[in-house]
Amino acid sequence: MKITFRIWILLVVVLLSLISILGLPPQILESGLLITSVNQDSTLFQDGLRESMVLKEINGQEILSLEDYATALEYLKQNQTQKLTIQTDSIEIINLYDNSIINDISLEEISATKIKTGLDLRGGARAFIKADVPLNDAELNDLIAVSEQRLNVYGLSDVKFFKVSTSSGENLMGIEIAGTSPDDLEDLIAKQGHFEAKIGNDTVFIGGDKDITHVGRTGTDAMITDCFEVEGGEACNFQFTIFLSEEAAQLHADITDNLTINGSYLSKKLDFFIDGKPTSSLNIGTSLKGQVATQISISGSGQGATRNEAIEATKAEMKQLQTILITGSLPFKLEIVKIDKISPNLGDQFTKQILLAGLFAIIAVSIVVFIRYRKIKASLALVTVSLSEVLIILGTAALIGWNLDLPSIAGIIAAIGTGIDSQLIILDEAQDKRESIKARIKKALFIIVTAFTTTFVAMIPLTGFLGFMGIGAASAGLLKGFAVTTLIGITTGVLISRPAFADIARQLEE
Amino acid sequence: MKNFENWYNKNYKKILIIPAIVLTLSILYLAFFYIQTGDIINKDVSLTGGTSITILTQISAQDLENHLSQEIQDFEIKTISDNSGAQLELIITAKDQDAETLKASLEKFLEYELTSENSSQETTSASLSQDFYKQLIVAVILAFFWMAAVVFLIFSKGNKVKIQVVILNILFGFFLGNFFLTSNPILSGIAFIAFISYFIRTYIKKSVPAFAVMLCAFTSITMTLALIDIIGMQMSTAGIVAFLMLIGYSVDTDILLTTRLLKRKESVNKALFSAFKTGTTMTITSIIAITTALIAIYSFESVLNQIFTILLIGLGFDLLNTWITNASIIKWYVQSK
Repeated sequence: MKITFRIWILLVVVLLSLISILGLPPQILESGLLITSVNQDSTLFQDGLRESMVLKEINGQEILSLEDYATALEYLKQNQTQKLTIQTDSIEIINLYDNSIINDISLEEISATKIKTGLDLRGGARAFIKADVPLNDAELNDLIAVSEQRLNVYGLSDVKFFKVSTSSGENLMGIEIAGTSPDDLEDLIAKQGHFEAKIGNDTVFIGGDKDITHVGRTGTDAMITDCFEVEGGEACNFQFTIFLSEEAAQLHADITDNLTINGSYLSKKLDFFIDGKPTSSLNIGTSLKGQVATQISISGSGQGATRNEAIEATKAEMKQLQTILITGSLPFKLEIVKIDKISPNLGDQFTKQILLAGLFAIIAVSIVVFIRYRKIKASLALVTVSLSEVLIILGTAALIGWNLDLPSIAGIIAAIGTGIDSQLIILDEAQDKRESIKARIKKALFIIVTAFTTTFVAMIPLTGFLGFMGIGAASAGLLKGFAVTTLIGITTGVLISRPAFADIARQLEE
Repeated sequence: MKNFENWYNKNYKKILIIPAIVLTLSILYLAFFYIQTGDIINKDVSLTGGTSITILTQISAQDLENHLSQEIQDFEIKTISDNSGAQLELIITAKDQDAETLKASLEKFLEYELTSENSSQETTSASLSQDFYKQLIVAVILAFFWMAAVVFLIFSKGNKVKIQVVILNILFGFFLGNFFLTSNPILSGIAFIAFISYFIRTYIKKSVPAFAVMLCAFTSITMTLALIDIIGMQMSTAGIVAFLMLIGYSVDTDILLTTRLLKRKESVNKALFSAFKTGTTMTITSIIAITTALIAIYSFESVLNQIFTILLIGLGFDLLNTWITNASIIKWYVQSK
């Protein structure tokens, strides 16, 4: 058989899809643990450890599994630092650490493929949270920032937040947490958290409108004041104003009055706590000692390798402090309207049965096609092209980083079914002897393109692209996967595998 | 063969009565169902709101049921087993207001705490579920009408009417997204009917084949809906996906039939028969593939079961509608020209 241009394209795309699925070099050959997140305030982060690095060795011991990792860090104790040599695929870190690093990073075993699975297959938690008053975009952003900060405090960093709108225009906050979720998750996300600022053991102010009346976040109330060169890059300073109530200001004055002066700052720091856990500390300028000030200016700085990086880091630092200060003061109550907690152990079963169903369906299709056409070559070609379509869909999904959930799997089934239908049309047209083979294939491709176009437009309302029309904004989240994989499947099908199959069918007839 | 052809030529219009009767019965049943339950389908917890807890356990469903029935009124237990029949897990579902009670009661019975390691829990409030449901319905309706528009654009002639149809379909999208199911039901109902009347009228007037394709898809959906209501299936969000897949497959065979007849070089009956051969191969391949897949995974009771079951029923009805409803209409149309 002659390998035509179109068949070449199919072969190349299948090869690229395989690379996209398996990685190059194949991921399955790689050893170590994938770092999925690093707490940005940790020593490890400062030492250069980043997300998506691969942990290889600790103190010369090879780390191949999560068990190895647990064993390697077993001897670390609380508040007692030990020297650790951490080897990743790109850097080596040697420093003193205590056992808090266990909470600072999260790891995962490297999967055999680059295909990402959705929450319902991999396990994890998803929640939608509603406020008791309608939220505008700015309020929703605040809510997300505060919740993010708080989940971070609890060591949950592999968390995704998103906005969801209902058909009546209500804004909801969506949260997705991968893997095993904490059992008190409901409390963590449905309550705002408790903010407290202390000097030593004395509480100066707490979250809520009573003490902090306003946190400056715009204009001259919050800005980057200056940037300058430092060793190893650039640094910027920021400053923002918070407004205290009279009582809180008085309390602040009373407490600071008793502090001693230590250089340009007072002897004790102002410590921030969320739910009783320390988050940040600020030095208190000497000018504030004993002063009843209802406006306090908070300043700090951020660093980066370039000016832009420094500005970004500074903005992030400022936003983090502002977020901590507004914790507990959001003027609404929260309610969980949807929460799904999927056990990672149950997801495995789904994957198994999907593979089982796929295998049976393929065998059935091959038998039917063989019985119908009595041509082993044509049946084989049809089944092979259909399988190559599965690879192309999976490869594209891996390439764009799409999370395959159950609806996505249904979408793959739909696309493959449509693909087989189209190939049967080509086979039948190719067998028809009354017209020239070219005219017949042309007619077959007309039918296929028409069918493709109808399915294509039918999927659009589910993708969420029509949000401007008010279509499928929230529901899109649930069935988007179906639309996405169907669209990938039918589009690559009509562009790549159908033309190739038409060439194969033509040659089989000639 | 010759006898059949003579009979078919004489009676092809008359056999339209079969799908017409089934369709009428289906619509009547759905109307009756709507009056009784307030909706045209039975919705499961994913659409009504409520809680569903899955636990890995060997405890029998009966024991658990006896215990739970003392504390909760309205709940259901499903047993999931592997292919050898060995029990893997239990799924317990209850209404929205019972979420907390259900979890507490289960923990009391199992004598251990339910964590994300040993169980899965899905809870959705009734109001949010209703909102999702509405949005899904709107998306499916729009999908149907946009498909219809594409079929019309391909099988009709005249640019002016084509542009008109495209613009009205976009307006229809805005209407569905912003007013339908959310504003005054009488007003939006009138507007909805106005849109649909315009489309039906235009399609019949300008392209009977396009109308026949969509009529056939509509008939298949309606009959499938009626049958799944009769067998008492509770629809989930996944079930709605199945309907979208069904519309797609149905339209595929109808487009094949229409193209073969409109672009034919041979007699109408010959074109019809060749389309029939290809079309039934397509549908029967799908039916056999889905049936084997369904048998392979049936005992797991996952959402795929529902998708596959609805598809099977739908493809069955689609055979009837494509090769009687659509075939007769298009033959009628081609011969009257």
